[in-house]
Amino acid sequence: MRTLLVAVAFVVGVTEVLPAQRSFAERRAEVLRVASGERDRGFATITAKLLTGQDLPFAFAMLDSLTYDQSIGGMFYAYTLIGCYLLGERVLPDTLKRKMREAYRVRTMYRGDTENHWVMYYTGLYLAAQTWPNEDETTWFNGKTSAENFEEARGWLSQWFDISSTIGQGEFDSPTYITTFLTPMMVLYEFAKDSVMKTKAQLMLDLLFVDFAAEHLAGNYGGGHSRDYPEDIINPLAAPSTFWAWLYFGQPEMPPWNETRYRPRHRSAWEPVYGAASSYRLPEIIYHIATDRSKPYIHTETKRVRNIIRFGKEKNPPVYKYSYVTKHYILGSLHGGILQPIQQHTWDVTYVSDKPNNTIFTLHPFYSGKELAMFFPEEQKFLSDEVDRYHKVYTNPNKWNSSSPYEQTLQHKNALIVLYDIEEGTTHPHIDGFFPKTLDERVVDDSGWIFARSGATFVGIFPLKSYEWKEEDVNWRLRSFERRNGFVVEVGSSDEDGSFENFRLTLTKLRPVAREEGKQWQVEYRTREGTKLQHTFNGQRIIDGKQVDFKRYKFFNGPYVQSERGSGVITLTHGGKKRVLDFKHVKISETP
Amino acid sequence: MRVLWFAAVLSQIVGPGERSDIDRPAIYAAVYIVRSGTAVGTLSGIGLFRRFRDDSTWVNLRPNTITPGMGFYQSESKAMLYLAGGNGLHRSEDGGRSWKVLTGWQIKEVLSVAPDPVDERILYISTPFGIFKSTDAGTTWHEKMKGWKTWYVRRVIIDREDRRVLYATGEDALYVSSDGAESWQALSVGVPGIKWIVQHPVEAHVLLVGTEDHGVRVSFDRGATWRQSAGLDTSAVYSFASTPDGTEIYASGFRTGVWRSVDNGASWKQIWSASELDALYTICVDPYDTNHLLVGTNGYGIYASHDRGRTWRQSGLPDAHVKQIEVFPGGMRRGVWE
Repeated sequence: MRTLLVAVAFVVGVTEVLPAQRSFAERRAEVLRVASGERDRGFATITAKLLTGQDLPFAFAMLDSLTYDQSIGGMFYAYTLIGCYLLGERVLPDTLKRKMREAYRVRTMYRGDTENHWVMYYTGLYLAAQTWPNEDETTWFNGKTSAENFEEARGWLSQWFDISSTIGQGEFDSPTYITTFLTPMMVLYEFAKDSVMKTKAQLMLDLLFVDFAAEHLAGNYGGGHSRDYPEDIINPLAAPSTFWAWLYFGQPEMPPWNETRYRPRHRSAWEPVYGAASSYRLPEIIYHIATDRSKPYIHTETKRVRNIIRFGKEKNPPVYKYSYVTKHYILGSLHGGILQPIQQHTWDVTYVSDKPNNTIFTLHPFYSGKELAMFFPEEQKFLSDEVDRYHKVYTNPNKWNSSSPYEQTLQHKNALIVLYDIEEGTTHPHIDGFFPKTLDERVVDDSGWIFARSGATFVGIFPLKSYEWKEEDVNWRLRSFERRNGFVVEVGSSDEDGSFENFRLTLTKLRPVAREEGKQWQVEYRTREGTKLQHTFNGQRIIDGKQVDFKRYKFFNGPYVQSERGSGVITLTHGGKKRVLDFKHVKISETP
Repeated sequence: MRVLWFAAVLSQIVGPGERSDIDRPAIYAAVYIVRSGTAVGTLSGIGLFRRFRDDSTWVNLRPNTITPGMGFYQSESKAMLYLAGGNGLHRSEDGGRSWKVLTGWQIKEVLSVAPDPVDERILYISTPFGIFKSTDAGTTWHEKMKGWKTWYVRRVIIDREDRRVLYATGEDALYVSSDGAESWQALSVGVPGIKWIVQHPVEAHVLLVGTEDHGVRVSFDRGATWRQSAGLDTSAVYSFASTPDGTEIYASGFRTGVWRSVDNGASWKQIWSASELDALYTICVDPYDTNHLLVGTNGYGIYASHDRGRTWRQSGLPDAHVKQIEVFPGGMRRGVWE
């Protein structure tokens, strides 16, 4: 009983003094309380039970079954097993502890083939080797000693911290996979005995959170994303990132499990339990960056393409991101092209709304074996079919996530031009646009503009060529069969434009000029603010006569986050306060 | 004879009365993924499988391991089994009962392994990020890509007459090294997309490559010149196998079915359309019974024929994507011919 009381006290923690932190304490306690009432076989809910002392016999039974279920045993298992062990160590029966230890001997834990897989695998291996040191090679699934495993995990994690803080993550800004980075880092921060590793985990948590915070709006993860699922793209608050936003940023107001829009996915649904159980505290400055939307701002970032193994000149070319963040909406974009296989989300406007499907975007639903072969070692002849089996929609002409070599963007503040130039013979040679039915207004104007309004957010989209509409369950689908097409997008709000009528009136007087000269496909447009944008597909992108030079993009560049590419130093500023994440010297400093 | 000698040696190693699994002729199958798998975390059914020739039960020697390839080493004192896998290069010295991963975090998925047939310390592996060599039995590894323009390497093999000569299939070309992988030169095969390379089991100057869309290219002068094979000239060819004497060579690929050549690969005739199966990723001739052919499919396991390819039936692991099939102990030198 005493053990349980200690555990509960650990969970509830100390009441913080800041408003945000006070509510955080309540939220984390609520996460553990509700999660511990779930009756599934997930490590997260079992961990919650171990921490709260609720329903322990069930937790032990589930845990026991997880130790002998031979059908699982990959990277997801590797870190959640040790996380559960370490967080529940005080209440776990010795027999169960021995079984959990034994799993690291008998279970071949697959390392996976993506960035998030390796983060999970090596975090699990690091902590397991730390927990059971000085053991020989016969006691580990990979035939290595504790020391060898510890050193290998330390080595990979260290280089991941280096690359993530200098040229960025390959699986960047993913509303889904953010969970698979945050959770291992929470566990690593909590239990790494080496102070350097613990600080690195803290640095990484700060970086992951501020990366999210700068493009966060009312629980939504705005901007372009590397990996996103269709269900979350068309309904942003359904994504796992919403749970983290609620827990750490206090937005949206409603707990995710009460949110009808939230779509908890099996394994990751309750992963924020590890955050709730951690002693990591979100720095106040990141909380403010996530929630202060008093002034609109431009925020740009550089990320990297995940490892290209074939059909490329560079292994990790840069990705350029641009986001315009206001209190009503975020208009964000990646610069275009194939930056990520399968699940790329290149641009959207996501706005604050109490209704679901609060986003508008367009895409080219591209697929090809060659694209996949760029990133996966399988044969390109059957990669598409294989990926379809796992991700379901890859070859679907109606899919809502896709990279495409035939899509490029130019964004300036709240205006964007997206151009498509689809090569003849390409699979699915059409362009789709998502317009939710939850819009308050959708008007197809004689001027050629399509106007949309949701609450205080106004969107104008000018298709450069012909298109048609198709009504679907939750949306109207704009579809164009013009292989060369594009859209001029302007986004406004009651703050910027007064009324929707004013916004519409202004835009109806503006008209993009598109030109096709041989292989050249270009458009010129002067925004309602008077900025001249010129975009040539596979050519120059010019703003007011000045060519956009992506090479000058910083790692982070915005009012709240600054970093030079390659420096490993990220500076956070807000309200006169500064926090410096110095990965080079493994140091965090804050002033005043 | 060689097999019997090897079995005798091995039985002495393991001791009287103790039976080693590896001395029994067995079929090994590298299973990459399974058709019914729905998530990366669901790994049951993949790994390195073994079925003894005199038994019908497949046993997974290395569960939960994505396995694109395997390799064997045998000497008077040792028999070692290698698994090229997602976690790196695995080695077993006890017939698959225990394993050690020889590579670290620096080496990602290993696609193929070529153990030196004489010096057990020398190992070559191919990966999506290049070729790596170890000269200390896998303790340390060094990238060996001098002369390469790309970095994806599906397969590396050792010339069976000169073990300093290696061949490797790259994204843009076939590469050859004459100094134990220290440097490489691209060979002009005449077409892009080299998928697979084998050397004839008897006539070592004969090399065959399978290509992405140009079928089989064959060289009769150790790669100096290449010609297009007749019959298989527009398909993606992923694999070859041969009878130990090299009189019959088999090929398979993407929607090709199974083809046979009786003239060292100069021409081919289809012996099985396999129209219900998309890809026959790998093919193997049982050296103990050359009427016994096996193919590894993409998601439908192993199909086998016991009448030199006239009739075929499903023969185990019905859900598996099988990337390599080997019979071991076999009558052929390992790492050279499959």
